[in-house]
Amino acid sequence: MNLHQLHSQTRRQFLNTTGQFSLGAIALQSLIGHASAASSGNPLAMKAPPLPSKAKAVIYLSMSGAPPSLDMFDWKPELKAKDRMDCPENFLKGEKFAFIKGKPKLLGSPYKFAQYGQSGTWVSEKLPFMAKMADDLCVIRSMNTDQFNHAPAELMIYTGNMRNGSASMGSWVTYGLGTENQDLPGFVVLLSGGSDPTGGKACWANGFLPGAYQGVQCRAVGDPVLYVSDPAGMSRETRRRSLDALKKINQGEAELFGDPETITRIEQYELAYRMQASVPDAFNIAKETPETLAMYGAKPGEGSFANNCLLARRLIEKGVRFVQLFDWGWDIHGTGAHDDLMSAFPKKCIETDRACYALVQDLKQRGLLDSTLVVWGGEFGRTPMNEARGGSKALGRDHHPHCFTMWMTGGGIKRGINYGATDELGYHIAENKVGVRDLQATILHQLGFDPYQMNYRYQGLNNRLIGPTNEGKIVKGILA
Amino acid sequence: MLLRIVTLFAVLLPAAAFSEPGAVKGVDFRRDVLPVISSKCFHCHGPDEKARKAKMRLDVREDALTDRDGVRAIVPGDPAKSEMILRIMSKDEEEVMPPPKEDKLLTAAEVEILRKWIVQGADYSQHWAFVKPQAVAVPASPAGTVARNSMDNFVAVKLAAQGMAQSPEAEKLTLLRRASFDLTGLPPSTEEMSAFTNDKTPDAYEQAVDRLLTSSAYGEKWARMWLDLARYADSTGYGSDKFRMNVWPWRDWLIDALNRNVAYDQFSTEMLAGDLLSGATPEQITATGFHRNTMTNVEGGTDDEEYRVAAVKDRVATTMQVWMGLTAGCAQCHSHKFDPISQKEYYQLFAVFNQTEDADREDESPRMSVKTKGEEEQRAKLNAEIAEIEARGGVASAAFEAELHQWEAKIAPLADVLPPTKDRDLPANIAATLALEPSERSQQQRTELNEFFRLKSKIFAAAAKEIEGKRAQMAKIKSVELPIMRERTADKRRKSFLLNKGNFLAPGDEVAAAMPVAFAPPPKLVQGEEMNRLALARWIFSADNPLTARVAVNRFWAQIFGTGIVETEEDFGTQGQFPSHPELLDWLAVKFQTPKADGGLGWDVKALLRLIVTSQTYRQSSKVSAVAAQKDVRNRWLSHYPRRRLEAEALRDQALALSGLLSRKIGGPSVYPPQPDGLWSVAFNGGQNGYPTSKGEDRFRRGLYTFWRRTAPNPTMFTFDAPSRESCTIRRMPTNTPLQALVTLNDPVFVECAQSLARHIMSDAKGDAASRIRWALELCLCRSATDAQVAALRELYDAELANYKGNTVAATQLATNAALPLPQGADAAELAAWTVVANTLLSLDGVLMKN
Repeated sequence: MNLHQLHSQTRRQFLNTTGQFSLGAIALQSLIGHASAASSGNPLAMKAPPLPSKAKAVIYLSMSGAPPSLDMFDWKPELKAKDRMDCPENFLKGEKFAFIKGKPKLLGSPYKFAQYGQSGTWVSEKLPFMAKMADDLCVIRSMNTDQFNHAPAELMIYTGNMRNGSASMGSWVTYGLGTENQDLPGFVVLLSGGSDPTGGKACWANGFLPGAYQGVQCRAVGDPVLYVSDPAGMSRETRRRSLDALKKINQGEAELFGDPETITRIEQYELAYRMQASVPDAFNIAKETPETLAMYGAKPGEGSFANNCLLARRLIEKGVRFVQLFDWGWDIHGTGAHDDLMSAFPKKCIETDRACYALVQDLKQRGLLDSTLVVWGGEFGRTPMNEARGGSKALGRDHHPHCFTMWMTGGGIKRGINYGATDELGYHIAENKVGVRDLQATILHQLGFDPYQMNYRYQGLNNRLIGPTNEGKIVKGILA
Repeated sequence: MLLRIVTLFAVLLPAAAFSEPGAVKGVDFRRDVLPVISSKCFHCHGPDEKARKAKMRLDVREDALTDRDGVRAIVPGDPAKSEMILRIMSKDEEEVMPPPKEDKLLTAAEVEILRKWIVQGADYSQHWAFVKPQAVAVPASPAGTVARNSMDNFVAVKLAAQGMAQSPEAEKLTLLRRASFDLTGLPPSTEEMSAFTNDKTPDAYEQAVDRLLTSSAYGEKWARMWLDLARYADSTGYGSDKFRMNVWPWRDWLIDALNRNVAYDQFSTEMLAGDLLSGATPEQITATGFHRNTMTNVEGGTDDEEYRVAAVKDRVATTMQVWMGLTAGCAQCHSHKFDPISQKEYYQLFAVFNQTEDADREDESPRMSVKTKGEEEQRAKLNAEIAEIEARGGVASAAFEAELHQWEAKIAPLADVLPPTKDRDLPANIAATLALEPSERSQQQRTELNEFFRLKSKIFAAAAKEIEGKRAQMAKIKSVELPIMRERTADKRRKSFLLNKGNFLAPGDEVAAAMPVAFAPPPKLVQGEEMNRLALARWIFSADNPLTARVAVNRFWAQIFGTGIVETEEDFGTQGQFPSHPELLDWLAVKFQTPKADGGLGWDVKALLRLIVTSQTYRQSSKVSAVAAQKDVRNRWLSHYPRRRLEAEALRDQALALSGLLSRKIGGPSVYPPQPDGLWSVAFNGGQNGYPTSKGEDRFRRGLYTFWRRTAPNPTMFTFDAPSRESCTIRRMPTNTPLQALVTLNDPVFVECAQSLARHIMSDAKGDAASRIRWALELCLCRSATDAQVAALRELYDAELANYKGNTVAATQLATNAALPLPQGADAAELAAWTVVANTLLSLDGVLMKN
């Protein structure tokens, strides 16, 4: 068999032959639904979505640890009025808290709120930049989850399963759509705040999907992508020559054995070579103008949230499909100054407020916001009561699954609206509950998937991001 | 529409592909009908009573034939009167089945299958895998094919039926490399290569196989599969993912048990219930560590009972997956939609595992002290050191004797002439002894003198201090406390309940331990026996169990050939794939489980593997013929040996072995080969974020000894498709990605291997650059090199030599590291050029693949 025949076979085999027996491939095909989709052995080859889409890329800003909505977006004057009063009995009945013991006191927000924009969105004084873009945001104040520990709650929201082992949202999306720029990873994960999220690397794991779809954690220090640099002492020219020799021998191998896999491997090594050039370039924020750097508050060389926001825009601009930022440090319990509402929380606001604003404005200015879905939020909410763990004098709030705030923008989402509401003390949802499953269904929908149909068969189950039941609903009220 | 076409492909082709020419053009229930009604109908008309609509089920013939007010879903022989067909064909949105919202409409071909089946009489036979395999007659091998054992006959018959033919045998050395990787996970050494090339005896290959099967590397290679099945890891999993430093003795037990070739039934029984065997040995209890590899959650605020229950469920799911190829986990929330496991039966199995003492505790109790080899070695070493110190400074030592003489010489003359003073206050008996000549002293006097002088001796004091230090070290050696399975005592048994939707806070009816009835008769318990894990193990290995042997032989087959006879190794249920070679699967299964006395293999795994790897099917060349490329790209009919990429561990081991760096130390605590900084930063884990990179030999251990942290597995292994081991993994899905290319090109571990291999090319190979290149190619590929291959690398070598000649700094950077300095008299440019060649060699497709 000659090389040309092998090449065409590599393209053909995926649909015509592999699919007959491989369940994974069948799922992929039925998901994508057209023949040209899987035109090569490359698992990340670009694929069109099965349905019309509003967004083609996602930037997910994960606030790891769960930010206190009541001090950011969910203004509760009644709670303020009852500050440090006993919390109502019915708050405690049948409830389980992570740390609160006995009878806690209510805790009104120590910060001032005001309304902004045409939408009249309430925003706390700690978020002056986000306040400026109130009319860009769809603020959902009625988020709800059933998990109240960090790891299971993060896994639930990012992988659709409270336990480890499922595929993350970014993996699903790259599995379904591939990625535009083959010289960069399709699903990039960027961390700030000094720690992995509590859910760990499982938050961006491929789970039961093939390994090619796992999130690629890119780093601020060292190689942005592991092993992207040639060994010390090896020039690009040497690497090129070594790959030329490799290609020659591998082509001989392909001719000798006739295995299409060899052709794919040759392509992957060439792809890796191009990645070696494009990754350092994409990750070099020093190439941005001083104005842009200042707008984000980004400083080249740091592993900051601001740098990561700027990186996210650069990556999306270059055709990366899914960028997820995890910013650790939002676990505002109030056990001391390091995690309280008066010192730690304002610090987190300063670290992130300007950068979030800059990201949205930058995307808008570059015409990328319409096709990019931006999501901001944590894994659950925080109690309207002061935690006071062990009699701590520092102010803080315990884990609270019943309600929390997230915001979205771009990618076919209504801008300048507030959706849903909590009750007057911010304890339960009062209207338009949006569950984690609803959020997942909506994100998939915006990308052109039917969230109910998108599945991958593994160990006897048709696994879906939205879980086994159909409780998740697309949140029609926020769609533009 | 397009979606429909794809579905049609997916369902029709296998059925068409598996029908044998010459067979009756009829429809077979198990092969053709069940896959359709199972995936399109059972969801609402299947085993799950809660999801069942119209109280009608299609998985049981009597029910499907029942007259309901004059309507029968199926009227045998008459599709036109069968409501099932009428509803499927209906154009009315309200009537049509399956309901349009389910998006499961049948294709025309599927309807045709059902129609034919009803015409034939709507015969239900049980799902093939739930019927006990029967002895199968070995078919005659078609003319012109080589059959080395009966396995080959089955394969050759199928091939002939497809109009295809067996491939010629692979090159001798290729065969050696193939078998070496499959049996030991390592490439052959140069000595093994030349010995095998020179061995002209007709059974040279069989002898090589026997040698590989007895190599200690065999247990290490096959442990890898079991570690995936057992979800073995060195951390607890979940958010905080703390270290679990005490489970590696289970891994060492595993390697040893595989090397001892403990029969599969015994080996499995010990893992499931070793603690319940009468007179259980410490090794048998160690084996139960298998099910203590479940995750534990120690994050603050988590409910221990919730995660204990999760671990018990994991044990049920893992046990059924590993030994019976069933996806029982589905039944924890509702009765299984497709297979005969009701929700109640699931919780009856749950009850079997619900009696162990472990309860998601941070200390992982219950545990057992395991005396490890390392510990024994450490003790022996310290004892030897103590003996050595005593020999040079103890009372029996020459030095002590000499010091005593010196003192005597000083003290004795004075003792005679002066009255005793405080300084020289000698007890009467010592003074009396000193008065005597040494030769006149009795044994007792000598002992008394030594005892007395000990306190004055500087030499003895120094030795005693040293010994004290060693004893303190000895006291610090702790046995490893291995988590084990242990049943709660009779008075502390837990009650088990059906958990609604699997929720541990929503218990329903109480259930008693039992086995699901659809597969094999319940175990017969004698007086004093309980329906416990041991009873479960016996039931799994009872002669009536239709799945156990099939699932086992299929898994070993898949490990060797890359794809199982049943491709869905994890699912032998109605949703799984039909076997490509059903008769062969049954023949192998029956042979595997039949006792040796009756001509079978008696669960002997090494014998099974020997049978497979000495077959002609295995010995074929991996070249894809034009016919195969047209008719069978996935090589399901095995017209040639299926090329496949080496698994993550084997890739690492091979690079280390080819470059002469590999350590062959077996067992012991897991090790930390170099990995990039900063990959371990996990929240709430008590600061277990530093990666303590191993030193010396431990940097170069086989991949299976690499510390396995569930949330942050070794990045190189992960890139090559190793799982996270959070739950049982039956098969790894191989991918081919650019990130893998970056590993073999740039991962410092692979670069160091290239540096070392370059040194071997310079020192071990002879002749000019071309002959050295040939030597290296043949070492890495394990076959004769072609001139074109040599020329490609020769060109590279020449270019790099010229390039580095002018650049000593870069040459030294590339060719050396702290552990591998520039050898005396070596030319840095030459070594760098060879390093580039070696780096390229280690990335060759022929090196990464099993040919």
